Amino acid sequence: MWYRIQSRYAPYLFIAPFLLLFALFWAYPLVQSLRLSLYATSGPESQVYIGLDNFRFLLSDPDFHLAVWNTLIYALFVVVVQLPLSLGLAVLLNRPGLKLRNVFRFVFFSPHLMGTVFASVLFGLIFAPRFGVFNRVLHLLVGLPMNTRWLGDADLVMPAIIILSLWLNVGFYMIYLLAALQGVRPDLYEAARVDGAGSWTRFLHVTLPGIWPVLLFVLVISTIGAFRVFELPWLLLQSTTGPDQSGLFIVTYLYQNGFEAADLGYASAIGWLLTAGVMLLTLVQLRIGGLGRGGES
Amino acid sequence: MRDRLAGVIPIGLAPAVLGVVAVVAGSLVLARGESDKHQDITVWTFSNTHYDTFMQTVPGFRHNADSDDIPVIDLQLVHYRVLDRRLRSTMWAGMDVPDLVEVNFNRAGTFFRGPVDKVGFIDLMPYLQRTDATGLTYLDRVLPSRLAAYTDRGRVFGLPHDVHPYVIAYRRDIFEAEGIDPDSIETWDDFIEVGRRLTIPDQRYMLQLDDTGVLSFEALLLQRGGGFFDSQGALTIDNETAVQTMLWFVPLVAGDQRISDNPAAQGQAFYKAIGDGYIVCFLCPDWLTKKIEMNLPQLAGKLALMPLPAVSPGGRRTTVRSGTMLGITADTPDPELAWELATYLYFDPAQVGPRFRQTNTLPANRDAWDDPVFREPRAYWSGQRIGELYIRLADQAPTQYSSPFQEQAAAKVGQAIAGACAYYRQHGDAGFETYVRDSLRDQAKAVRNQIQRNPF
Amino acid sequence: MLLYTCLLLASVVMLTPLVWLIAAAFKQGEDFFVYDFFPPPQRLSLTNFRSLFDQLPFLSFLVNSLFVSSATVIVQLAFSSLGGFALAKYSFRGKRVVMFLMLSTLVIPPEVLLAPLYELIYRLGLMDSYRGLIAPHAVSVFGMFLFAQSMKQVPDDLLLAGRIDGCTEFGLYWRVVMPVSRPMIGAFCLIAFMSSWNSFIWPLIVLHSQDNFTLPLGLNQMVGVYKEDYGALMAGTLLSVLPVAVLFFALQKEFVAGLTSGAVKG
Repeated sequence: MWYRIQSRYAPYLFIAPFLLLFALFWAYPLVQSLRLSLYATSGPESQVYIGLDNFRFLLSDPDFHLAVWNTLIYALFVVVVQLPLSLGLAVLLNRPGLKLRNVFRFVFFSPHLMGTVFASVLFGLIFAPRFGVFNRVLHLLVGLPMNTRWLGDADLVMPAIIILSLWLNVGFYMIYLLAALQGVRPDLYEAARVDGAGSWTRFLHVTLPGIWPVLLFVLVISTIGAFRVFELPWLLLQSTTGPDQSGLFIVTYLYQNGFEAADLGYASAIGWLLTAGVMLLTLVQLRIGGLGRGGES
Repeated sequence: MRDRLAGVIPIGLAPAVLGVVAVVAGSLVLARGESDKHQDITVWTFSNTHYDTFMQTVPGFRHNADSDDIPVIDLQLVHYRVLDRRLRSTMWAGMDVPDLVEVNFNRAGTFFRGPVDKVGFIDLMPYLQRTDATGLTYLDRVLPSRLAAYTDRGRVFGLPHDVHPYVIAYRRDIFEAEGIDPDSIETWDDFIEVGRRLTIPDQRYMLQLDDTGVLSFEALLLQRGGGFFDSQGALTIDNETAVQTMLWFVPLVAGDQRISDNPAAQGQAFYKAIGDGYIVCFLCPDWLTKKIEMNLPQLAGKLALMPLPAVSPGGRRTTVRSGTMLGITADTPDPELAWELATYLYFDPAQVGPRFRQTNTLPANRDAWDDPVFREPRAYWSGQRIGELYIRLADQAPTQYSSPFQEQAAAKVGQAIAGACAYYRQHGDAGFETYVRDSLRDQAKAVRNQIQRNPF
Repeated sequence: MLLYTCLLLASVVMLTPLVWLIAAAFKQGEDFFVYDFFPPPQRLSLTNFRSLFDQLPFLSFLVNSLFVSSATVIVQLAFSSLGGFALAKYSFRGKRVVMFLMLSTLVIPPEVLLAPLYELIYRLGLMDSYRGLIAPHAVSVFGMFLFAQSMKQVPDDLLLAGRIDGCTEFGLYWRVVMPVSRPMIGAFCLIAFMSSWNSFIWPLIVLHSQDNFTLPLGLNQMVGVYKEDYGALMAGTLLSVLPVAVLFFALQKEFVAGLTSGAVKG
């Protein structure tokens, strides 16, 4: 009966790679980053203990404030615009008897295949003034001037970033929501119809509760994703923060401080404030989402 | 077919295919490997044109002039976006540090930070004071204003590569069609007057100026005797010169009367705007003329250069901005050899002359300027002797002082420009001066806070 | 009818940039600006691709990316499926702790680790190496959840039968559990490949020499090298996206099943 002994130790062996890697590349750096956040550094070799000065300076640092503000605006739009769009497309695709469903699903998903990096390079040209195809289309449709500078005008940078983000991600989150919609039991709709509920009422009372856990999941991960935004604006704006710092986000600021100015301590402090913000927001979202709907799952 | 394959591979096709890809690509990567050949000296540059021209002449380098001792030189092209990070990493680690490295002005200052003895470059002053066969010291030969850019606390950490004088490049064909004589333009007021005439909103603009960053503003500020930092390294972005320059600059790029547009500060979109005649003139440092030749071959003979308009009659007709230095790292085992190669690359008349043909960049050592190459007429530039023009202007070039906080200052001034443009578009002259003063003062305060926070 | 109009409109919006990309990659020289989309067929050309390979070590970027991404996926697959198996089919002390640790990695943004990880990689002497690039991402917590979820459905009897037949625990994993999880493996491979293929910030920090650059870094560099060449840039972008697209077409079915099962059933 040696398999009994074996099966007692096997799981530890199987989980060991995770634990080892976790300890080395997650737990240890996490502790280190707490320590680093209390130091002023100039690369790994010169470090000076400064207590909570990094955090104190962050709280009064106008650039950090701007980065937080931009990130909040971006996250708000991503959630408020993207989620309904994804849900809308999913609902359309879920209509019974729809032809070419898989084709449409693939089409809507295809931008996501490009990935942030390559899409940013592409849209750098699509948004170009004077010859960019984005201006061309808007020029034909609403008479927008051809020399509109989406990436050179401080007021237009954020809309451009949000447009690209929507293009990339709407179809991706749609896949989740569509699968959730397909999982709602058809007899519930039938029952609601018999009760004389209109389509809107049915959506509110049958569809929404049915997909609530997935919706909440999508909400949480897209919010976390939005707070971590870096590559998209950084590459779209050719490794800058754009005119008037309009493309400065929290992680951008972290990258600039840590790896361009070589102050790993300040970067760690930024990272910790970001973490605190994200965790707080996630908790709030889960709390409200869970309480409001009687806590499925 | 797919099912049969899947049957053979228990965990599915995808990992199997990826496994094959990993092995094939991995062996390719390994095969390429590091050719671990011996080299005596390693040189990094971030500029393609420098790399190409150095490549041509480096094989001719001999230790001790006439000896047969041929050192093995490893010349590496490192992209400018990663050069400083890579250099810093190797300096921290004390491993694989290049012996000679070219650094861009904007990043150079960050390497001079910290205790002066811990700077990763050696002080070149003792070497510069040596005389050669001609009886001149190297110090006599280098343009002082450019040497000052890479001098920190009395030590010279870099040899200047270039002067980078600025002129105005203009579409000669458009000037002629509109009956404009470039020689009649002496001051900026003259220039702006012509600009008002040539500018047709949304169709054609007199000038391209960067209104989203400091590319143009800093150059024009330096022309007026200002700058981001003074010779002592103190921040000066909020002094009276800066305020006056900003008050003058913003109406050029914003508001109804503007004569400038900025479709793109660089890249193919920038060249296209010139090619289309959307932009008639642009601020043109020496190196840019070469880029223009390469990217706008169809404009050969249609472009020409004129000195920068002066702020007031008789004033300075050029400016500078940025540049490249060559430093010898403190880690090099053989500084003598490094210095020899450095002087070979930067001072050898046999190289510096012909190189001008390939780069259009005016070298910072003035004894090279006697070479006939600088007096050659250039067909592309309407037959002008562009070298001669640069040389004539070089001595007027202002000094741009380096600082570890150059990029922070640039970011903050960029913000001030964007803010001032937005204000001016909305409110015009009303309250504009107060706004500019306050804004520059606030931005300067933010940079000073960062400087003070830094314990190094 | 309205339904199809909406869907069609949305499709046009989604596809236009992609069509423009393909057109841009095949336009030569001035045509880039002359035609918004495709030029007349006889003007289509491959010059952009030629200059891409002539002017840049594009091929070496491509090989580097293929190696890094596929190696990352293989390593992640091995570790994540093993971990998932342990979570799904065994009860052991500390299982709850492990689950908690895993959850923590999902909520804490990895950017907080960038600075100390950089320091760690530097001290381990792994800067500018693929080991330094891959090691911190050798296990995927998302993958562990995914596999744990799907492996729960393997009947215990099947494992017991295997044990009685004298199969080792690893044998069970390799010969019983993994073959059953095949759709999930396909989905995981695609998701992991995509995220590694597109990863930018970590390679940007770790890799220094151009020889080692992956595609995202290489493409980022193309801007401003020699001649400014939008056509070649778009050709490079198109080629960079191709491998992911190929993988996606091959694994479409598994992908949708895998992506959604985690969320829907969990």
